[in-house]
Amino acid sequence: MASLSLENVCKVYPNGYQAVQNFNMEIADKEFIIFVGPSGCGKSTTLRMIAGLEDISSGTFKIDGKVMNDVEPKDRDIAMVFQNYALYPHMTVYDNMAFGLKLRKVPKDEIDKAVKDAARILDLTHLLDRKPKALSGGQRQRVAMGRAIVRSPKVFLMDEPLSNLDAKLRVQMRTEIAKLHQRLGTTIIYVTHDQTEAMTLGTRIVVMKDGIVQQIDSPQNLYDKPNNLFVAGFMGSPQMNFIDATARVAGGKAYLDVEGQSIELPADKAKAIIDGNYNGKQVTFGIRPENIIEVKGNKEAPYAFESTVNVYELLGAEVFLYFDLGSANITARVEPTTKVRPGDTVKYTFDTKKIHIFDKETEKTIAN
Amino acid sequence: MVSSQVIRGCIEQLRAITRIEFCVQDTAGNMVAQTEGAETPDRNMVTGFALSAVDSQIVGSSYYLKVMDDEELAFILIAQGNYEYTFMIAKVAVGELENLIVAYKEKFDRNNFFQNLLLDNLLLVDIHNRSKKLHIANSVRRAIMIFEIEAESEPIAAEMLSGLFTVQNGDYLTEVDENSVILVKSLEEQESYDVLEEVAKTAVDMLNMEAMVKVRSAYGTIVGELKDLSRSYKEAKMAMDVGRIFYAGKRVISYNELGIGRLIYQLPPSLCRMFIREIFGSDEPVEFDHEILSTIDNFFENNLNVSETARQLFVHRNTLVYRIEKLQKSTGLDIRTFEDAMTLKIALMVSAYMRELDRR
Repeated sequence: MASLSLENVCKVYPNGYQAVQNFNMEIADKEFIIFVGPSGCGKSTTLRMIAGLEDISSGTFKIDGKVMNDVEPKDRDIAMVFQNYALYPHMTVYDNMAFGLKLRKVPKDEIDKAVKDAARILDLTHLLDRKPKALSGGQRQRVAMGRAIVRSPKVFLMDEPLSNLDAKLRVQMRTEIAKLHQRLGTTIIYVTHDQTEAMTLGTRIVVMKDGIVQQIDSPQNLYDKPNNLFVAGFMGSPQMNFIDATARVAGGKAYLDVEGQSIELPADKAKAIIDGNYNGKQVTFGIRPENIIEVKGNKEAPYAFESTVNVYELLGAEVFLYFDLGSANITARVEPTTKVRPGDTVKYTFDTKKIHIFDKETEKTIAN
Repeated sequence: MVSSQVIRGCIEQLRAITRIEFCVQDTAGNMVAQTEGAETPDRNMVTGFALSAVDSQIVGSSYYLKVMDDEELAFILIAQGNYEYTFMIAKVAVGELENLIVAYKEKFDRNNFFQNLLLDNLLLVDIHNRSKKLHIANSVRRAIMIFEIEAESEPIAAEMLSGLFTVQNGDYLTEVDENSVILVKSLEEQESYDVLEEVAKTAVDMLNMEAMVKVRSAYGTIVGELKDLSRSYKEAKMAMDVGRIFYAGKRVISYNELGIGRLIYQLPPSLCRMFIREIFGSDEPVEFDHEILSTIDNFFENNLNVSETARQLFVHRNTLVYRIEKLQKSTGLDIRTFEDAMTLKIALMVSAYMRELDRR
């Protein structure tokens, strides 16, 4: 059982570089929290501050209400799994998992129970007598995790544990980690730069950039209601399309003027444009690839754009079409039955309910 | 010298197989190690046996045997058990213990050899002779890697490293001070600095995960002969020092990638102070607030691009320009020009170096 609290946590290096700024978050027991962001955004530094491997420059970090700032890493009751792991080559799987406990002089019977329990959870029981060289990549990764599990910690910290695995294994291990969280029932904080991992694993996601938390929310909310242009662009693959537009208000309604066409906004988005005094101002309009609708045949639409398809990508269950709209490169996700091919002209419209509008200067969200 | 813990491990293993109880005592009759069920022998009997000319003696159901170290008496082994094979097993135990003594002596000699080698305490001829005696190949590609462990005298960290890097693979671990462990890493012909980087990162992550200690690692250049290892060690040491000053966020530092930091580190402090005074006058960078330092840092990282820096800092372009002009007023350097940006970058690094020197 562990709840964590970070209050205004900052990390400043001696040369003045501020790696993390005012990190505030409450983490409840058994949550699966993901720190995500591009490299250098401060996610690993934050995790290392929680682990005690980096000093906290200012702010307070608590576990179960107890301030941990000056508590040694080994006394925080946490376990870590990092990107680079190595197994002791001359030891069996059992000994690899038991080694840390042996060095800490834990009684033999306790070690035996802990190793066997962890092996059962990780489905490694039949491999306990094997040496690392006889294991597959995924099995080795599970042994590395086993070494953390045997310690029965309150909190697990994982820093890109899958990034050294190939794509297929990553997907497989992702599922394993999700199952592991259910079985162990402990708090997990997981760092990744892969937004697919973030979306699939986390109960809540912390998006970071340049040491600053951009948004903390559930995967669905991050996808549907991003706080700013960065979050909107970072979450989702292929990423959200961004198009320059001019906001216009007329007769109590709001429109986005894009490439000579006017897109009438739904009432809630129109209200945000009117209330924010955006009439006549440049804004960035965002639309996800799946919210671009192909207009087939002679079907009528209030507005429609036409572009020449540059690239056609078939992924089996879906097709991505790449084309230009003015200076913007657009990606559309369409049905695999589409007859459109590179060089063809595609006619399309947008699902206006799913439009996102961002302030061009501050990049903050005006309407989702 | 072989420890009592190792001796105990050895005799416990023998007892588990043969059911014979053992005691090992030193020549003065002090107990070194004994198995769980062994009876403590009479001290006078042991010292008397030690002084006698015989190799073995039977006292009741106990067998007294001498354990020799290069023709000198090292220990007395007492085997207790009413079996017909007790004496034979006692002889086996003596053999085991004598082998252990030889192995540990060699280990100690190797350790001593590497320590002296790294600290430049050996003549070329000694390196040749001792390496030959200790079966250490001379012409092997090797590099020195230092692990600086923050927790004071953390023995777990050293033991974990010895689990990862074994003599069988040509690697060797030693220590020359309290806070660091030194790895003599041998490399295959095709292996290069990317392998060293990977090894260092893996070991650091392992120590973080398993020993839960703060660790930094630095490594020197790859050398081809034993005599050059001290150079690699000095480079690794310098990388550790330079990294601490200029690259505090990095946990693995390579001597080859120290860049301008290495140059500054080798400048005489008087010259550095003069340079700082010329650039900043009395307003040294330590007086700059976090905001201005963070602005400068970001501006350099974004290749002097005002718009991109403003975007990343979430400030208006004009705010950033105002900050840059404020800096220009206090230092006379306009960091929007390459020349002045370079001067400030070097000055900030020199200033960080001066602060470290003052701290020491």
